[in-house]
This record gives sequence, C-alpha cells and structure tokens, in this order.
Amino acid sequence: MAQPQEAYATRNPNNIRTDVLAEARQACYKARDAFYACVEKETDKKPTEIASVGLLYPSDCKASRAEFEKLCRASWVNHFDRQYCKNRRVQRLLDDKESRRGV
Amino acid sequence: MPISRFLLSCSRRHSTEALNLLRSGICRFYPIGRPKEMQSVPSKRIQFHNYCKSSKKPNGRLGNDPVMAIETQTTPRSWGTYAIPAGAILGFVGLATFIHYNDERRVTLKGQGTSSSGNIVMGPIIGGPFTLVDTENWVVTEKNLLGNWVLLCFGYTSSPDVGPEQLQIMAKALEKLDSKYNARVLPVFVTIDPQRDTPAQLRAYLKEFDPRILGLTGAVSAVRQMAQEYRVYFKKVEEEGDDYLVESSHMMYLMNPNMELARCFGVEYNADELSEAILKELKRNPIQ
Repeated sequence: MAQPQEAYATRNPNNIRTDVLAEARQACYKARDAFYACVEKETDKKPTEIASVGLLYPSDCKASRAEFEKLCRASWVNHFDRQYCKNRRVQRLLDDKESRRGV
Repeated sequence: MPISRFLLSCSRRHSTEALNLLRSGICRFYPIGRPKEMQSVPSKRIQFHNYCKSSKKPNGRLGNDPVMAIETQTTPRSWGTYAIPAGAILGFVGLATFIHYNDERRVTLKGQGTSSSGNIVMGPIIGGPFTLVDTENWVVTEKNLLGNWVLLCFGYTSSPDVGPEQLQIMAKALEKLDSKYNARVLPVFVTIDPQRDTPAQLRAYLKEFDPRILGLTGAVSAVRQMAQEYRVYFKKVEEEGDDYLVESSHMMYLMNPNMELARCFGVEYNADELSEAILKELKRNPIQ
C-alpha cells in the first residue's frame, strides 16, 4: 500500500452524515411503514392531502406523514412515494382483472 | 433432278449460284411450249422461286435459304443477347463464391472454439486499472488487489433501499463462505457518489455491515474512469436542492486473482445463492 494521501475533499472531511447510518435508517423505515399502513387503512376515505409526486392521502394520516418527512431525507421521501404509487398501480391492475371479463 | 440440285445448292449456301441454277433450270427444262400436265409443276417452282426471291434482304444479300436467312438476320444480335445474361450469372456466381470463401475462412470448428483463452466471458473486456483512495486515505490501485478473489460492487451511502440491501447480501454471503468453506473473498465497495462520500463517511457506513469491506472513493474523474472500465451506469437523479439520488446499475463483479472478470451477479441473488455461485467459480478456477 502506498503512502497516505491527503484528503482531497474540499469540504470538511470529518463531517459524517449520520442520517444514512443504521439507526437513522431504521427510524426512517419505521416511519415510512407506519405512514403507508395508515394510507392503506384509510383507502375508503377520500384523499384530500397532497403528498409529493402525485400521491394523495387522506387527512387522517397527516400526523404520520409529518413524522415520515421529518425522519427521512427529502429525496428518500420522493423515492418511496414513487415506489408506492407504482406498486399500487400494479396492484390495481392485477385486481381489476375480475371486473372485466373477456377483454 | 432439278429439285435435288436445288436442295444441294441450298445446303451449300451458295445463294447466288443456287438462284442462277434455279432460273436456268426453270428456263431450260420448262420451255414455253410445254405440255399441259406439266403446267402445275412449274407454277410450284415459280412460286417457290418467288418465295425464295421475296426473302431478299435490303442490303443486297440474297437469302433464298429460309433456314439460313433467319440465322443470318439474327447474327449481329446474338453476341448482345447472350453476353448480358452470361455476365449476370457470372457475377452472381462470383459473389456466391466470395461469400462462401469468407464463411469458410471465419469458421471455427465444432468442439474447438475459444479453448485458447480460459476466460468464458464473451463481450467487452470488463475491468482495468484504477487509482482510488480507501477509508484510511491510502491510495489503492488494482495492483493492490492482485492475488485475491475480489467481489466488487458499486453504490453510495445515501441510497434509500437498494444499496444497503446489496451490501447486506454481500456481507452475509461472504461470511458464509468464510465460515463454512474457508474461502476468502475480498469485498470491495466503490462509491459512485464521491462528492458526498468521503473516506470517513464510508468508514462509518461500512462498519455496520462488515469490517472487512474495503471502501474506495476518490476524485470524481477517477471514479468515473473506473465506472467506465467496469461498464457501470450511474447518473444523478432527483435533485432537490442539495440532495440527490444516484441511479446506477446494481451489479456485483467477481474478479479472479489476476483481476480479470470471472462473473457478475445481479440483484436477484440472495445470500445463499450468491455464496453457492461464488464457490462454484472458485472451484472452477483454482488459481490460488
């Protein structure tokens, strides 16, 4: 192994972002799951609030949404929302097969 | 007899001679005061003669021979009508021969194939030199990794879900290999987000998975060059102010001790399958 090299980063190299480490991640995942569970539970209620990337959710889940957005990074929130929408769309497509026959 | 003579003259193609003979024959053998029963015959002759005469060609040649007349009429054209199809056929045959020869030259016989090179990977040569910095700020090049089996994966610490999952699988598989089969494979994690992933960051991140994972980062250009050599796609997406995600091709590369690519694994492998597959590769190439 060669000689140690000086840090090349212009920013403070000892600044570690802890929100990607295990603890913060786990907290984020938990909040995310809680929020989506809430949305699942209240599917019959009319979605009034707007989340990001086109996800609507009922106002009952506002609290868990706030928690979710607090604990997770903004880009992660968008990513999870988008994924959730995609899954829901696929699910809807799969469930809808029964209502349409012979198509 | 005059008929036979006429036929003879026709076969010999002496057109003028034949015509004169005909004329003289008619005059000599059929004088003006001839008997009545012979009247029908000269008319035939004369008609025949007229028929022959009518076949005279405009350039003065007397074509009294119908068979030969037709042939002489088409003689100048025969060269053209035969040359073009012949040329086309020759050209086609030549092209077919060339293609066949080319195929023969390129053929590899069944059973031989690429026995010369032991590398089973077909396609672009993946891998190459790189110069990066590890978590302790030491410079690491590909020469430092020679002599070990290396499982290489690319990712970044700020990945929402895929990155940690991949690292988890990698760590578990390698641990299984180490404990059960005593096979040492060096895990290497190269970050594709070097602007945010400093060595200290990498160290903190990787410590949670497995202390043996070697984390590599470096200048943006160095990382980009290595990603290009390994055909890794990565792109910044979802820019929200300061925060962004990096989309990448999630593949793990297994390199043999000569730093040549042995295999690559996608995200569909879980820990057990991964360890099995790695073991198979290790057994196949016992280069220790």
